[in-house]
Amino acid sequence: MKHRNGNFITLAALRDAFAVAIVCAGIMTGLATAQGGQLRFCLHNEPKTFNPLQVDDDAAASIRYLTGGVLIRLNRQTQQLEPELAESWKVSEDGREISFRLRSGIAFSDGTPFTTEDVAYTVQQLMDPALHSPTGDSFRSANGKVETKVVSPSQISILFPAEVAGLDRLFDQVAILSQNSPKKEMAVLGPFMVADYKPGASVLLQRNPNYWKRDEQGRRLPYLDSILLNIQPNRDVEMLQFKRGELDLINTLDSEYFDKLASASPQLVHDAGPSLDSEQLWFNEVAKAPIPVYKRDWFRSANFRRAISEAINREDLSRIVYHGHAQPAMGPFSPANKFWFDAALKPPAYSPDKALQALAADGFRLENGTLKDRAGNAVEFSIITNAGNKARERMAVLIQDDLQKIGIHVNVVTLDFPSLIERMTQSFDYEAIILGLTNVDLDPNEEMNVWLSSAANHQWNPQQKTPETPWEAEIDRLMRAQASSGDANKRKAAFDRVQEIVVDQQPFIFLINKNALSAVSTRVHGAAPVILSPQTFWNAERLTVSGN
Amino acid sequence: MNTETQNGALLSANLTVRYTGKPPVLRDVELEIREGEVLGLVGQSGSGKSTLAMAILGLLEKKRARAEGSIQFRNLDLLNLSERELRSLRGRTISLVLQSPLSSLNPALKIRTQLKEAWRAHAAGTGADCTNAIRACLRSVSLPDGEEFLRKYPSQMSVGQAQRVLIAMAVMHRPALLIADEATSALDVITQSEILELFRSLNRSTGTAILYISHDLASVAGICDRIAILHEGQIVECGATEQIFANPQHDYTRKLMAALPRVLPADTSPARKSEAAAAR
Amino acid sequence: MRLGRILWFAVLAIALGASGAANWLAPAGYAKQYREATDARPSAEHWLGTDELGRDRFARVLYGTRISLLLAPAAALLSTLLAALIGGLAGYLGGVWSRIAMAVTDLFLSLPWLFLLITVRALMPLNVSPFVSVLVTFLLLGLLGWTVAARVLCASAASVRSSDFVRQAKAAGLSGQRLFWVHVVPNLKPVLYAQFWISIPVFILSEANLGILGLGVAEPMPSWGSLLKELESLVSVGAEPWKFVPLVLLVLVVTSFQILLSKQEEAAG
Repeated sequence: MKHRNGNFITLAALRDAFAVAIVCAGIMTGLATAQGGQLRFCLHNEPKTFNPLQVDDDAAASIRYLTGGVLIRLNRQTQQLEPELAESWKVSEDGREISFRLRSGIAFSDGTPFTTEDVAYTVQQLMDPALHSPTGDSFRSANGKVETKVVSPSQISILFPAEVAGLDRLFDQVAILSQNSPKKEMAVLGPFMVADYKPGASVLLQRNPNYWKRDEQGRRLPYLDSILLNIQPNRDVEMLQFKRGELDLINTLDSEYFDKLASASPQLVHDAGPSLDSEQLWFNEVAKAPIPVYKRDWFRSANFRRAISEAINREDLSRIVYHGHAQPAMGPFSPANKFWFDAALKPPAYSPDKALQALAADGFRLENGTLKDRAGNAVEFSIITNAGNKARERMAVLIQDDLQKIGIHVNVVTLDFPSLIERMTQSFDYEAIILGLTNVDLDPNEEMNVWLSSAANHQWNPQQKTPETPWEAEIDRLMRAQASSGDANKRKAAFDRVQEIVVDQQPFIFLINKNALSAVSTRVHGAAPVILSPQTFWNAERLTVSGN
Repeated sequence: MNTETQNGALLSANLTVRYTGKPPVLRDVELEIREGEVLGLVGQSGSGKSTLAMAILGLLEKKRARAEGSIQFRNLDLLNLSERELRSLRGRTISLVLQSPLSSLNPALKIRTQLKEAWRAHAAGTGADCTNAIRACLRSVSLPDGEEFLRKYPSQMSVGQAQRVLIAMAVMHRPALLIADEATSALDVITQSEILELFRSLNRSTGTAILYISHDLASVAGICDRIAILHEGQIVECGATEQIFANPQHDYTRKLMAALPRVLPADTSPARKSEAAAAR
Repeated sequence: MRLGRILWFAVLAIALGASGAANWLAPAGYAKQYREATDARPSAEHWLGTDELGRDRFARVLYGTRISLLLAPAAALLSTLLAALIGGLAGYLGGVWSRIAMAVTDLFLSLPWLFLLITVRALMPLNVSPFVSVLVTFLLLGLLGWTVAARVLCASAASVRSSDFVRQAKAAGLSGQRLFWVHVVPNLKPVLYAQFWISIPVFILSEANLGILGLGVAEPMPSWGSLLKELESLVSVGAEPWKFVPLVLLVLVVTSFQILLSKQEEAAG
């Protein structure tokens, strides 16, 4: 995985900046594939650390995924948790304690045996406030000490000071460190280990000879001999190198590159369908925002927001801007989130007429092609988005045109990212924004910091002392209820209700879900790109590469 | 110095000029120019002739040069005038013609523009007035006054024509004093004599006094009423032209005489007295 | 020679005329989105095809030409005048003034413009019309673009200052102001012309790049800059030559201006 823990929703724009390294993954197709080969792909930034607990950028996250051994792994394809270094695990009723039964006979890449003490040591390092582990942030639900208890040589339990929502799945991010190895964090339990690092140029991973996993035929994994990761921030160069056969994978493509590549060599590209990522428009509903009061009144009206939502032609957004590699967004969660998506939601309707009806209910009327509010103010507002993101700029221009049809004049302003964030989070000097959110986890708990009215990422009106609207109060209640319940179905029911309220109130006007697009060379066998990161190399241990 | 009467003095200077950090360029120079006369100032290059001319015009670089003493011009002390007052004198009452005519005209401007600017600096009037004035002064230096000529750039004229244009510019406002700084030394012999003749006739017809600065004693001799000899920052001798030629007092003057080509009347190097008769 | 002149003049006349007549030549306007025909090839209906959002490229080129041809030369003129004034005066006055002016120029060159422009954007309201936005941008470019030329001009003016003709003109009683404008500035012409002609394409492209800061022309209005930006990914354009039209037009118009005006100069000189 490549995301920051603790921020379930990070701005997709951030992701654009720290582009994700991607690689292919594959399922063994049962062929007696020869072992060996080198897989090559790009990291888009310099990895800042090889310490798995300090990972805070995409490149380092990719390396952690390939080299780190974890107790529990989220299967990127089935979206189910699977035992890894732990044969089994159990979370207590109150959600504070998790106990693991570990596999035996496993050793780190340098030969140091893997024991319960390593797990205890990793947890201690993870939670040590002095070490500021970004991964550890997700576990810090309350102040207090974390206790680890070695029950037997193969059993260990970890007790947290308070309930940690979705505790088990968080361990997908926690690569186990060795307490005793002289090689420190370079001793790993994952399928690969770092063999060479040329700053600014490349990272070479080699197969971990001590990796514990075997395939169904009893052969040792991984099949690959090595993985060469080129550090290359430029996407054009990456594309060129891929075309020349110098790279085997591109983990995430934008729709333009995808189409270019598809028209030349359709066998190389993969569209895994809608991802969890969404793009949305929202209005500034902050009470103290430096915008005219009458505008804020529009923005705080659900009718107004519904009307805007209905006046936007989402089909055109995905067809024209994403060349069809996106789906109109139905709500906060993409249908790609198999368990949590609320199947009762209907696809958004496009209807300028119904939009005008909704507006009429609030006293808006059309005068000579210009929409006026009750007081006679012409409806005009600006949409800001981050400069350089072509897709968002184009969506903004299409929306500008859509809204002109109901008499609303929109000014599109592109801003550099820091200015945008400053307006969005500090000065609140904006009217509407288009941004994307990168959902990095399937569980709604990861979105507490968006949906709670007191949360900082509750972007349309963050950090409310008390909920300013009844529906926000209701969402607060439902989010807390689902977080404190151990019953998955009850949680699901609560979160379904949240999704319905959001769709009804449109605080975020969700526009589209982007498809997960990737490219995989035909030399790579076993690849099966998925929507979850790392899309192409989630099954790196079972990939093979021929002919290089 | 000699004892000529102060009557008719247009300008009398008593001047020391030094550039910062160097010995004075001019030391206690006493010089008198009388109304309507042509005074020759002769000295070799570096003797301070041009500095004197610039001092009179108030064009010494203020940052670098300091002038002490006084320059009485009519009833004004030029050294005490403000820049504004000086500017109203320049070109109108005291004007200047420089040595190299082609570089003294702005290569980027038409003749008309340059003359027009000179006229407008001291006259108000309609465009027609200006054109008339320009034409008149061109005629006075025997240049064509047609449109075609006015449209020319300096590069499209001969050196002699350019020098006449400069002179036309200098006499345009009928100045009381015209300073010609090496005004003929860049010219060939024939042109030189033509220009000298022009100066002479302007002097006669308008009564403009001329300070004729040159390193060349011979060219000075033809037009000057009096001659002052400048040597190493001091006036070493000053007197009527015939007197200087007939009876040079100072060693340096005699050296200058000796260097003249022998086409002048005989016996021009008689002086044997080797005592340095101080000019003062 | 004569024929060449006529040809260049024709190029200019066509470009100016067509952009002036954009309302008649492209009545649907630059913002109309033909959403069923995006990124189309040239056709009878869309002479230069359509862009990514289905807008008629021909209309966008015409309207973009109008904006850029109006504003870029104006901004270039402004920066040239500033360069003449600051660099020229500094060199002409010399001494302390020259040192001060060059220090200011150095400061200008070393300032973090990015942050200044971000501040400008922050001070501007978000709801400004696309035209005001592009106007402000060109104004900024004009106000900021003089520095390099000013250094060259300072040196040229300094040499003019010590020339005989300036001394002669001083002796003719010209005021400092007249001296500067009448005698010094005309001698800086070659540098001023260069500054002017170089500034036009530079400003046109800078305007497009300032889009990153929320300055420059705003959607949906086109400018040459925003049209040229599409050429960033040349790979895709190679097979679609009609997308080069804005670039070709820019080169043609700037060249024809330059040639016509320099001929004018020759004729005058």
